[in-house]
Order: sequence, then C-alpha cells, then structure tokens
Amino acid sequence: MATTAPGRNISVIWFSLLLALILMIIPLPEILRFARPEWLGMFLIYWAMALPQRVSIGVAWFVGILMDALSGTTLGVHAFAYALIVFLVARFHLQLRQYPLWQQALTILSLVMIVQLILLLASSMPHQWQVWMPAVTSTLVWPVVYALLRKTRRTFQVS
Amino acid sequence: MFFAVIASLTLYIMDDRLDYFGQVRSLISSVVYPVQVTAALPADFATWLSTFFQDREQLQERIRVLEASQQLMSARLQRLQALERENLRLRELLGSSFRLQERIQIAELLAVDSDPFSQQVILDKGQRFGVYVGQPVLDAHGVMGQVSEVSLFSSRVVLLTDPNHSIPVQINRNGLRGVVFGRGPSEQLKMDYMPHNADVRVGDLVVTSGLGGIFPTGYPVGVVTEVSFPAGKPFAEIAISPAANLGTSREVMLVLPGERIEFDLPEPSVEMPEFLGIEEIEAGGLQ
Repeated sequence: MATTAPGRNISVIWFSLLLALILMIIPLPEILRFARPEWLGMFLIYWAMALPQRVSIGVAWFVGILMDALSGTTLGVHAFAYALIVFLVARFHLQLRQYPLWQQALTILSLVMIVQLILLLASSMPHQWQVWMPAVTSTLVWPVVYALLRKTRRTFQVS
Repeated sequence: MFFAVIASLTLYIMDDRLDYFGQVRSLISSVVYPVQVTAALPADFATWLSTFFQDREQLQERIRVLEASQQLMSARLQRLQALERENLRLRELLGSSFRLQERIQIAELLAVDSDPFSQQVILDKGQRFGVYVGQPVLDAHGVMGQVSEVSLFSSRVVLLTDPNHSIPVQINRNGLRGVVFGRGPSEQLKMDYMPHNADVRVGDLVVTSGLGGIFPTGYPVGVVTEVSFPAGKPFAEIAISPAANLGTSREVMLVLPGERIEFDLPEPSVEMPEFLGIEEIEAGGLQ
C-alpha cells in the first residue's frame, strides 16, 4: 500500500478516508443524531471492493484506530470491526462488483450491522433500538456514495 | 486478518487494563485533533456569521442585561465573601481544615459529535493548559461532569448523564448524603440506594458533597423532580434534573483545586458536645 508510484493517485484514497473521518464527527441536527450513516465503513467497503490490492485489512485497521481515538471507544474496537468487514469484502469483491446496486446496498446493510454489533458488544451501554439506525441510513445513502466514489476514482484514475 | 485480530485484541486489553497506556492513547488523540478542528469548522463559521451580523440595538440590549446581572452578582458576592470569612473563622475554632476558593479556567466545547449513546463532549483545552484526568467541569449553572481523557490540545469530558458516571452528593436542605447516577440520553439523573424513609422532597436542591475527592463541595448538581417509594422495592426512586445546561452550554469552566489550609491547632480544650457525633466532625474535615 505504500507504493506511491506516479499516476496511481493513492493520495486520493487517503484524502477520501480523511473526509469520511470528518463526516463521522461533524455535528448533526438533533433528529439525525442516532442515524449518522457509517461513512467510514462505506468508504472502506467501496475502496476494498474496487481496489482490494490498495485498501487492505491493514489500512482499515489503521483508520479504525484513528476512529477509536475520535469516538472515545476503547482502542481496537473500531479497528477490529473495520478490519473484519474489509476482510469480508476483499474475499467476495469479484461477486460484489457484479451485483446490481440494490443488492450491494443490502450487503452494506449487513456489513454495517456487523460493525454496530461489534461496537455494541464492546460498550457497556444497555441495548437500544436506535443502535441499528446507522445501518438503515447507510443502506439508503449507499447508491450516492457509490456513484460519487466511482466518479472520483475514474476522474483521478486511481488504480 | 489474523494479525489484525491479534493487534486489536492486544490494544483493547492494554487500553482497558493498563494505566500507563493512557499516554499512548493521548498521543493518538493528539494526532486526530486536526480532524476534530476541521469537523468543527462549519459550526464555528455559523456562530461567527451570527455574531457578525448582530445589529447595534441587539448588542446594546445585551450589554444592558449583562451589566444588570453583573451588578446583582457582585452584590451577592460581597455577602458571600463575608460568609466565607466567617466560615473560615468558625472552622479555625473547630480545628478542621478548609479548602480555599477554587480557581477556575474557561474552556470551550469543540463542535463535534461523539458516540450518541455515551454522553461525552470535547473541550479545546488539553495537557498544555494543565487539564488532568478527573478534573471537575462546571458551567454557569452547575456541575457538568469530569474530564475522562486528556490529549495535548483537547480533552474529553464525561457528562453527568453518562450511564457510567456517578457523583457523590448531598441534599442542600438537610445534608443527607447520597450518590447520583447518569441514565443516558434521557437528560435525567437518578439518586440510588436511598432508603424508603429518606427525607427527600420534590424541589430539593442537590449539591456536591465533596466526598470522593474529585468534585469540590457545594456546587449545584440538580433539583429533585420526582420522588416515589415503590412498594416491594428496597430503595426509593428519585429523579433529578441536572442544573447545568448539558445540551446547550458552549463555554465551560474547569476547576483547579484550591489549596487546603491545615490548622495545626491543639485539641480543643472544651469537650465536644455529644450530639455532634464523630461522623459529622470527620465529614467536616474532608471538605
């Protein structure tokens, strides 16, 4: 992943992940507080699906550590969750690419649910139904994220 | 994947169990500080815009209101200072120690969201300003919470409403001591483990008791809004609404501990009256 050969535009990937980190903590109106889409998870899933040789489990783990520091969870929780979903996506990336968009969105639903489940298991909070809201909103915004990131990838010819 | 699992587990256990690992954590938190600042930019810009476009009349009106309240406060403060002196003298007579007035430092909230299920906020002051873990945080109306994690430039504060937070308190009216727990996003606190015959009424002011050594004595925590004694349950159910504006305050105060003056007086020659009781004297000494 550290190969910054000219023309590969790896920095675009890092820049998009940084943007996702910012989106994860940007203040939202009160109604949407529990429904924040899992931006970082979705961005990682997209890159792992499109360029599995670039965004590996290591990248997901590293970004997860940063997310742990941002959200105040015990270190390693987000890291493990993101590494796990990137592992799953990398395993099935050839199939995922062939799926129609709605089927991909459903995959996102289950992947984000896995992330939420790991976060829930690691926290001492009582279970509330709002825990699953991010999975639903992520599913809804996935087509937009997918289109935007694909456009970005093609414009900057990231490979 | 195997390495990721091992690394995550190791980090998780180290962060959870080892005290000195906090330094590594604070280092990582310092690294992500720019991300937090960037995320706070839109909100900051909105505040700046709204202050920029305030008109003259509005500002004058605000100055008038602030000046009036300032006068009121300084009048109250005069009386308070006299009382504090008197208190100090009396304590000197009793031979107990007394904490001088606490010093206070102003900090601002960073406009970023945390995990919506744990009640936490982020301040723009960190290690460089001497913020430390366990430092009490107040706003203009009462106690907000305590610092849970410090990085170089920022710090994380656990609010009173966090389910993992508890604070030792006493009822201002009769000095009855207890512990107040957070209940999550419901914005209400509860006072647990109070017996059925506890003298707690709706409207009672609850203040910090200073026991436990983290919070200073006598700052308002909240007001009792509901008291019920459910039959068949061992303890009373007491709901408290927090005094601080946990959701809306932007400027908060970090309390620095005041110095403690120890009076090395000889044992008082007068016999202590029986009714004072050992417990009360000790509690006085702790404050």
